[in-house]
Amino acid sequence: MKLEFLAPQTLQDAVTMAKARGDAARFIAGGTDLVIQARKSGTWPEAVINLQQIPDLGEIKGSGQNFSLGSLVTHRQIEREGRFAGALEALRESACVIGGHQVRNVATVGGNLCNASPAADMVPILLCLNAEVALAGSEGRRVVPLASFIEGPRKTKRAHDEVMTEIAFSAPAQKFASAFLKGGRRRAMEISIVAMAGVVSVSRDGKLTDVRLAMGAAGPKAIRLTEVEKFLEGKALSKDVLEETGRLAAAAASPIDDVRASASFRRHLAGVYARRVVELSWNRISEVGNDRSAA
Amino acid sequence: MNSPFRIIGKSFPRLDARGKVSGKAIYGTDFAMQGMLHGKLVHSPIASGEIISVDTSRAMAMPGVYEVVTAKDIPAQRYGSFVKDMEVFASGRVNFIGQPVAAVVARTAEEAEAAAKAVKVEYREQAAVFTTEDAVKADAPLVHPDWQEYKAVPTVKRQGNITNQARLVLGDVDKALKESYRVFTHRFVTNVVHPGYTEPRAAIAHWADGSQLHVWSNTQLPFEAQATLAEIFKITPSQVRVNVTVIGGGFGGKLRLGVEHYAAAAALKAGRPVKFVSSCEEEMTSALPRQPLTIDLTTGVTKDGKILAKAASILVDTGATSGSGVGVASSVMLMLAGPYKIPNLRLESRSVYTNKTPTGSFRAPAGPQGNFAVESQMDIIADALGIDPLEFRLRNIVREGDLAPNGQKLESVSLEECLLKAADAIGWKDRRPEPGRGKGIACAWWTTTSGSSGVYVKVGPDGQVFLNTGCAEIGTAALTGAAQVLAEALGIELGSIQIVSGDTASTPFDFGAQGSRTAFAVGNACIDAVGKLHQRMKEIAAKQFSAKAEEIEIDGGAAKFGDKLLPLKEIAAIAQTSQGGLIAHGTFIAPPTLHDKERTENMVITAINSPSFHAHAVDLSVDAETGEVKIHDYVVVQDVGRAINPTYIEGQIEGGVVQGIGQALSEEIVYENGIVRNAGLTDYKMPTAMDAPNIRSFIVESPSKVGPYGAKGVGEPPVIHPPATIANAIASAVSARVQTLPITAEKIVRTLTEVSETAK
Amino acid sequence: MTEVQLDLTVNGRRHRLSVPAHYSLLDVLRDELELTGTKTNCLEAECGVCTVVLDGKSVASCAVLAAQCQGREVTTVEGLAEGAALHPLQEAFVEFGAVQCGYCIPGMIMTAKAFLDENPRPTREAVREAIAGTLCRCTGYQKIVDAIMAASQRLSQQGERA
Repeated sequence: MKLEFLAPQTLQDAVTMAKARGDAARFIAGGTDLVIQARKSGTWPEAVINLQQIPDLGEIKGSGQNFSLGSLVTHRQIEREGRFAGALEALRESACVIGGHQVRNVATVGGNLCNASPAADMVPILLCLNAEVALAGSEGRRVVPLASFIEGPRKTKRAHDEVMTEIAFSAPAQKFASAFLKGGRRRAMEISIVAMAGVVSVSRDGKLTDVRLAMGAAGPKAIRLTEVEKFLEGKALSKDVLEETGRLAAAAASPIDDVRASASFRRHLAGVYARRVVELSWNRISEVGNDRSAA
Repeated sequence: MNSPFRIIGKSFPRLDARGKVSGKAIYGTDFAMQGMLHGKLVHSPIASGEIISVDTSRAMAMPGVYEVVTAKDIPAQRYGSFVKDMEVFASGRVNFIGQPVAAVVARTAEEAEAAAKAVKVEYREQAAVFTTEDAVKADAPLVHPDWQEYKAVPTVKRQGNITNQARLVLGDVDKALKESYRVFTHRFVTNVVHPGYTEPRAAIAHWADGSQLHVWSNTQLPFEAQATLAEIFKITPSQVRVNVTVIGGGFGGKLRLGVEHYAAAAALKAGRPVKFVSSCEEEMTSALPRQPLTIDLTTGVTKDGKILAKAASILVDTGATSGSGVGVASSVMLMLAGPYKIPNLRLESRSVYTNKTPTGSFRAPAGPQGNFAVESQMDIIADALGIDPLEFRLRNIVREGDLAPNGQKLESVSLEECLLKAADAIGWKDRRPEPGRGKGIACAWWTTTSGSSGVYVKVGPDGQVFLNTGCAEIGTAALTGAAQVLAEALGIELGSIQIVSGDTASTPFDFGAQGSRTAFAVGNACIDAVGKLHQRMKEIAAKQFSAKAEEIEIDGGAAKFGDKLLPLKEIAAIAQTSQGGLIAHGTFIAPPTLHDKERTENMVITAINSPSFHAHAVDLSVDAETGEVKIHDYVVVQDVGRAINPTYIEGQIEGGVVQGIGQALSEEIVYENGIVRNAGLTDYKMPTAMDAPNIRSFIVESPSKVGPYGAKGVGEPPVIHPPATIANAIASAVSARVQTLPITAEKIVRTLTEVSETAK
Repeated sequence: MTEVQLDLTVNGRRHRLSVPAHYSLLDVLRDELELTGTKTNCLEAECGVCTVVLDGKSVASCAVLAAQCQGREVTTVEGLAEGAALHPLQEAFVEFGAVQCGYCIPGMIMTAKAFLDENPRPTREAVREAIAGTLCRCTGYQKIVDAIMAASQRLSQQGERA
């Protein structure tokens, strides 16, 4: 084992180190994924570049509509974040279902996105929030929509010398609510077999508007369910509408069979959870206190 | 409560608790020796085939490597419980993926692991067989082509892949089925589950002078480990000393050799102590999980719900070696027949090899599988007859003095009480309180394993008492229970007792921590020792008081002559100066359980010793869309004979139920062509604290004639009923009857879809 | 350079170590410092027996690179008792019968310790959620939850008195 541990103190140093070492080096943040995988396979990268001493990456910033998550923000920080209570509850719900406290105290949101597991639980809600990720590399800084950042299983647009620095999103301008649900065999410590996040708003005449739904673990990457969103725009919630929501969501799934669940069960759950997330968010609208038009 | 006891029936903290909570207890994985090397195994990647060559040269050249050990380095010797079909390292051929072929010894575990990957083994792959149904076919590939050359106990009837064919027969089943009002036939299939102890199997072996082997390990059975190691290395048992470390859970998974034999083989070749610890992947691919069973069960009943006859054909998948699966194939028949009075029985079982992981004796080895079948079918029949499932059971259960299926006379039968209490506690009258919610019930009996126990009880001049036992403490607190028996009988406080356990050289023989027997058998040996100590106390006191021994009375922990008292510690002090100390060797062997041998054929387990009775009931909801099961309430009523320590009895019940819930709902080692697809804890899904419900335990005390103060075995029963209880409640809640374990959300949804499609 | 120089405080004692860069915090605790109270099992952050408190937060020490702990503070189960006096969590585990084989208990207690430091008076449900990452196969968790609830009460009473 000849692992080199590099501990840059600045973002610039991290990028420089990564550029110098090429593919042989990997960034490490919480490390929960990298350390476990490397130990299991017995294959370590030549070097790891520790991001934890770089200042300012571990903060949740913003208020009102605009927020940014530093890439080193841990899942526990998100689940305990008071600013996300209420309308942005789905962020907390997504963060609190990943591993146990021991993992969530360490594992970072940046790691969750950069690993690009199809079952990464933070991705669906961030897709709903049209999150953009900022990358800093030797060629400079760029901002990429999360939807295009993740390209497929374990595949992203990040160049090897690029550090994800933050994830920014804007909440809808009008009153909205959100929800997240996932399927798994246990009530904790589960890798999702289907994950569903939703953000909905309701127009003055009681119709759904600006509906955003995203689904994880039911295809090679998490996706927005645009067909369902289009269908729901301007509709009042009804049994028929919900049923069609489920049907469309199931149709949009392209799941695999694996040891956790069959493709057909995943597809079935995609329908159920899409329906339930829309219904749950709709029911939450009246409870959340983010009606800015009233303020 | 007016208890006649001072110590029995009280929830004292276990004697080893402080060391465990402070991190000071030394477990198998913690144990280390000066000069110790580390070993890692090389596993077969194929399910069946011949070994052509083993090339160790690359591995030997790797950093830190001392030795590579293969079958060539140790005597050619097969061993096993009923059939001697196991070997330490595969010699001629391999018969499951994960089978150890060689071991690498290196300075660090990491170096050994890296070098293990560099051992090159060439195989000639051969046809394999993965299901019992295929394995029993006449033209099936043989898992052990040389099976006829293996030694076996005379009871077993073997043929090819079949390691035993046993029967339990009573009356005339064909006639009774013909006369039945209705006959029901169902197939039930159970899952491969891992005991799930949190401490992997670990051992250190050291050869003192090339002929004296010393092993420290987290084995449940030091004396069996001693005997098996002696057999493997062709030395006498007394040349092997086994010391048991603190054990991080066993549940039957640490009864047979775990890694002790690899450590011993490696230490022999390396000439240094060698430590082995199983990896999590090894635990999932090559430890000793529970046998999966396929049970075809036919039951004939009268119109008013009396069982007339039961017939069963059972296939026990033992994996690549027969192990204790032969025993499972026998004891499952006692489970399937009971706990009911059935005049006609024809139960037939076969234990069968497949090219998969060898199986073992996970807690109540045949219990959950047999109970899932019999108790699921009881509910199906009750529903079909329009009889309440509780009532149907009450019409058929055994009662005091009834004969068990093997003809043994049942005593201290508390089953009706258990069932009624469980039904009452769960609110049985309101069995379907709301849509999607239902309640289920199941009952069973279980044995208290026999086997002999010896203890030395030694009293120090300060009045401290050493309970010296060959039995290991695997976590149940059963040795604290035995110590409570000792304290009660000797008239001392529990805090005066220290336990010394699990050393084949210095502790007396014990059949070991298995089969719900520890507190029962060790406790009884303690009572025997106390009888002998009392006699010694009388003799010493008599001398002291110039009286006759028979004039001395024992009062509490002292000898008494008239109004003169001689306390235990003073007697011990006198004994120490005059006669080599105060010590007694207590022994116990359970009396044989008499039964009708005409009824059993080729069965290796034929009786239910000091049977215990129990019922479980559950109240749960099923989300019909997602298949998710939510348990609201879980009730256990268990007859323990006498509750020695109620808190740890509850502990056995709560832990056993949650383990059983795992088997019922979420756990399964999944094979595909012999490959384990979920060889890690990410996808082997044991219940977390979020999945475990609150459990309410009700202890029934219907004393056994044999057990200490009436106690019966406690440890295994709680794991038996959850699969059936939960299956019955799910069927009650949403009309989905799932007959294969685990009952996953996916299976529930699929069953519901099938039901609704049939209804269309 | 494949070794890292590590300045690590464990249970209040400062250690200066040189360890291979790929060592986990668990490797350092058990193999270098020979503090075997912290247990080893799955090595994939699924079982929780290796849980320790790192700068006030519970972590699975098998999944944390030791090199990332430079200058940080670790508390293990060995660091809880004060002399012969057990920590209230340890006491409650003994008293409530929450210990069987005990192998998960150091991790369980450290998980609970960090959790109670953040949430001094939790509900039973919150306790179950907090310990979901630490598997126990013996107890069914019920008595562990009882013990943590009792400890939380005692700790907050102590806190109020202090």
